[in-house]
Amino acid sequence: MAKSIQWLPDVDAAKKKAQEEQKYVLLDFFNPR
Amino acid sequence: MDAVSYPNAKVIDFFSQYLAPVRVLISSTPLPQQFKVKWTPTFVILDSQGEEHHRSVGFLPPEEFIPSLTLGMAKTWFDHEQFSEALSHLDRLISEYPKSDVAPEAIYYRGVSRYKATNDASALKQAHETLQANYKDSEWAKRASVYRLL
Repeated sequence: MAKSIQWLPDVDAAKKKAQEEQKYVLLDFFNPR
Repeated sequence: MDAVSYPNAKVIDFFSQYLAPVRVLISSTPLPQQFKVKWTPTFVILDSQGEEHHRSVGFLPPEEFIPSLTLGMAKTWFDHEQFSEALSHLDRLISEYPKSDVAPEAIYYRGVSRYKATNDASALKQAHETLQANYKDSEWAKRASVYRLL
């Protein structure tokens, strides 16, 4: 299976992952149209 | 981004190594209002406390997207005055993506980070000289030009 970006469900989940794994939160504001 | 940059293997690996990413619909609430985002795509880098340190507006191909995100990571450390960590990201950006649009800004911040870490003003002059030699038409060469007087 091809690899893909693993998006997190919300900012709180991202902040938790950032704290636990020393990562940076990235918000991608997008328009699907 | 979905057609070009997000399927790119280097982008996927970069995200996996460094980022906790979230997609936010521009029509949702409250994040677009909270971050005053008016156009897409907009990319915002936050620290683990949720404080913003960098943003970029508009599509970026992989060879520009990765260095732009790396600059944001460096600026996160810079803002927290953790200059050795900032320098590790800046050095990697300058080494691996010297032709990227953000390379001149990275050289500027590398000079400032070195200066703030050591109080040695020659780091600022060196940044000016590197920018003049390799990126003389960039806005960052202009911003650093005052350091020729040091």
